[in-house]
Amino acid sequence: MSRSIWKGPFVDGYLLKKAEASRGSGRSEVVKIWSRRSTILPQFVGVTFGVYNGHKHVPVTVTEDMIGHRFGEFSPTRTFHGHAADKKAKK
Amino acid sequence: MSDTVLIAVFGAPHGVRGEMRLKSFTADPADFDAYGPLRDARGRAFEILAKRPVKGDLFVVRVKGVDDRTGAEALTNVELRVPRAALPPAEDGEFYHADLIGLAAVDEAGGEVGEVVDVLNYGAGDILEIAPAGGGETILLPFNDDFAPTVDLAGRRIVVRT
Repeated sequence: MSRSIWKGPFVDGYLLKKAEASRGSGRSEVVKIWSRRSTILPQFVGVTFGVYNGHKHVPVTVTEDMIGHRFGEFSPTRTFHGHAADKKAKK
Repeated sequence: MSDTVLIAVFGAPHGVRGEMRLKSFTADPADFDAYGPLRDARGRAFEILAKRPVKGDLFVVRVKGVDDRTGAEALTNVELRVPRAALPPAEDGEFYHADLIGLAAVDEAGGEVGEVVDVLNYGAGDILEIAPAGGGETILLPFNDDFAPTVDLAGRRIVVRT
């Protein structure tokens, strides 16, 4: 069953403060967070969070496509290391 | 930079006519035979005569010169590689993982940070995994202009902001 719309998205309060502080500073930094359950909001777009996976803070740069998802979806707790083969990374 | 790139690995035999499984590591799994002849560590070349997908990155293949199950069994777990030069040039702003892995990570002042050991992507952009020069836990950094402003493949180094 999906979450009732009247409740609005769940976000841990401290994330909003941290994201605002990061935007205000103007420096590129990874904002370390532990809240994997929080919903990604539009005001987080462009901010890079380090989402804890129980081991490390995995960098998650928020884009518009990620709005509505949870932070934990982008920071797997079981790491799989594949092979490089012909895979490419894009800047 | 390694001279060769691991593309696939042979798996268990499939049936009694020399067919065998193959696990592909390429971005598009069906592209494992797109970069010319596949060679093992000893330099033996394998020509893929036929391939059919099983599931995901698994294929059943028929290899030239392998006509029975015994021949297929002998190739189980053989790693298949292609020369790095066989891969087409990357577009602007794109880098092969194989080229990035092994680069020396330095800070903007030229100080040693560590070495790139892996490139990850969990759906929120590419991430560099850097083993610190002094040992210890690896560092994860986003692969973008803010955190990795300069990639110097010829100089075998990447400038990072930690």
